[in-house]
Amino acid sequence: MLTLASLGPRELRARLRGPGLRLQTGPFVTCVQSPLALLADTLAAMYADYPVLEEGGVADFHVRLSGSNGLRRLVRPQVHFHYDGMAPFQPLPLAQAFPMFEWAMNWCVSSQANSWLVIHAAVIEKSGLAAILPAPPGSGKSTLCAALVNRGWRLLSDELTLVRLDDGRVDPLPRPVSLKNASISILRDYAPEAAFTRPVADTVKGTVAHMRASSESVARAQETAMPAWIVFPKWQAGAPATLTPVPQARAHMRLAENAFNYSLLGETGFQAVARLAEQVRTFDFEYSVLDDAIAVFEQLLRERA
Amino acid sequence: MTALPVQLPLLLRALREPAAMAAFSEREWDLLLRQALASNLAATLGLLAEEAGVLAALPARVGRRLGWARTVWERHLQAVDFELRQIKRALAGTGLPLILLKGGAYATAGLPAGAGRLFSDIDILVPKEQLADVESLLMLHGWAGTHHDAYDQRYYREWMHELPPMQHMRRASVIDVHHAILPETAAARPDPARLRAAARPIPGQEGVYTLAPCDMVLHSAVHLFSEGEYHHGLRDLFDLHRLLCHFGAEPGFWAALPARARELELARPLCYALRYCTRLLGTPVPAAVLDAARAGAPHAALQALMDALFLRALQPPHPSCADAFDGAARAALYIRGNWLRMPPLMLSRHLLHKAFLSPKAEPAR
Amino acid sequence: MSSLPIWRLVPGQRLVHRCHDGECVLFNDLTGDTHLLEEAVVALLQALHAAPGPAAILAGSDGLPEADPDLLDELDEVLADLAALSLVEALPC
Repeated sequence: MLTLASLGPRELRARLRGPGLRLQTGPFVTCVQSPLALLADTLAAMYADYPVLEEGGVADFHVRLSGSNGLRRLVRPQVHFHYDGMAPFQPLPLAQAFPMFEWAMNWCVSSQANSWLVIHAAVIEKSGLAAILPAPPGSGKSTLCAALVNRGWRLLSDELTLVRLDDGRVDPLPRPVSLKNASISILRDYAPEAAFTRPVADTVKGTVAHMRASSESVARAQETAMPAWIVFPKWQAGAPATLTPVPQARAHMRLAENAFNYSLLGETGFQAVARLAEQVRTFDFEYSVLDDAIAVFEQLLRERA
Repeated sequence: MTALPVQLPLLLRALREPAAMAAFSEREWDLLLRQALASNLAATLGLLAEEAGVLAALPARVGRRLGWARTVWERHLQAVDFELRQIKRALAGTGLPLILLKGGAYATAGLPAGAGRLFSDIDILVPKEQLADVESLLMLHGWAGTHHDAYDQRYYREWMHELPPMQHMRRASVIDVHHAILPETAAARPDPARLRAAARPIPGQEGVYTLAPCDMVLHSAVHLFSEGEYHHGLRDLFDLHRLLCHFGAEPGFWAALPARARELELARPLCYALRYCTRLLGTPVPAAVLDAARAGAPHAALQALMDALFLRALQPPHPSCADAFDGAARAALYIRGNWLRMPPLMLSRHLLHKAFLSPKAEPAR
Repeated sequence: MSSLPIWRLVPGQRLVHRCHDGECVLFNDLTGDTHLLEEAVVALLQALHAAPGPAAILAGSDGLPEADPDLLDELDEVLADLAALSLVEALPC
């Protein structure tokens, strides 16, 4: 199986500039086109282990990230995202090309992948069991997720939890983990062997960097997991790591609020969330020290054994 | 005579002959999916494939992708159903028959033209004299007027054939109240009273009607060939095709169609409709009907111009198709608004995207 | 409490729901909305499903928790709220 790394830089650029790079992430194939050297380089770093497919197959999504034309290129150049000929979002400064690519990839899945219940949540796995971490931005979900995957938990996804509608298992979608502001240096210290992009400043979310998904998580991207816990994390300065159970009906409502396509799926969505709320233990989780947080997850796993 | 493109775009081939989809290669499917999505026909394509018995034979990734679009459509139907109930309730006091137009009519009557079809507004037809009553009742039940500036108000009330669209304050759904099918300012004046008189009840839906078959076809033709919006050109042409195929089986339909067109002053749109349906989609129209419809044709030079315009405009609005639309027109291809309580195709309700990626403003209606 | 109007479930409402520990989630299959309701309210809806009736009669139905004075007092209000959610409707007598 061909990986992005095996293409080599020249072939990578040729595909990106030409017919498109067909990149497999979890269950999806995305045809990526872009003339931007910055994006090519970052893809090479962050997606080295990912499968690439030959031309002539079916892609789920077609995305293009291009630069500005004419004079705009010289003065505050921008990056534009096109979804197969349509441009649904405003352009961003060129330096934000990789974050834009990541957000665009997320948007493709969250707005269309209706054969799953798609939850805005991180999801990690150990011993075949998955912990789902939904959270609005700013709750520290990505930091916690990034820490856990550097302490023995497998990354299934950083942003998009794909719950299968037939059996309720989670399909992995391992992709770079996004980190903001203070979390970047925290994770650098916590996981010195992990690979990070150079931080990009002045985005709407502040300074943003991405941490590469481990080769193992990419290699095991076809290995599903059964949800066992839903944990709503909240980083709180000085807080001891504490789990507070969430009643089942409330867990249902909160999951529904955090799912992109819950309403769209109608009764199927209701049943998928109800099944999930029933089969897992749901908690609110406060913490401040990462090691303490990890210990709590390990304890949950032990209780389950 | 203007020639058709040598090789019809894949989407047209699929629409003309759904069974042929089984033979398309993966490479062709990759392109076809994109054309279908750009034309808002992905859900329809999946249903056509199923009807032709070939859905299971398609590549797995294709079947899955078409399924995503189908889910959207199924949810859409539920929303339409509920919306209709609420409209019935609101207007019960008027004693008026609830005459549905366009997408709402196809969906509620379960017509083939409704399969996979999405639409953003519900359109109804009421007598002009009752417009004010209808408007106040709708407002009483939570619909609010839109387009508040003086010019827009005048545009709709004085010049157009409809009230400004009304949007429900809680559900965000939109209803368009028409009193005619063409603006006051148009050259042709199809008499709305005749349309209303011929309206047909929808079985199983007390008090709800569609236009008569000929009138539904003519309205669809008028809508496509007069209103100047071609974003959904191929989709609208396919509506016509399906309506013609379905009602063509009813005795008397073909005989009545050209005559009714003349009666309603819509011979020209009918001529265009039949011409482009037969040429692009291979609609089986009896020769006698085509002959009769030619009476409404423009003279040769104008016809050639129209051919050039429409044959281009009615292609899939996708970069892969020759003479594709400009960017602005393509960008308009999505379902407007949040009226299904879900994000529109291009927007995600959630903070993830709104916080970082700013959606472009919707183009003007 | 008034004896009019007669209340009933909105026709076609299937009351798709799940309950746990006194709280329920209910999917309104007509509107597509999901609601968090107390178990007692779901019992009320099920009573209506069995037979439409005026509030006074509903208050004495089987299945409604006997000693739930709050619910009974506020029955009219609860029914009005449920009507706003398109779960129930009032028929004029």
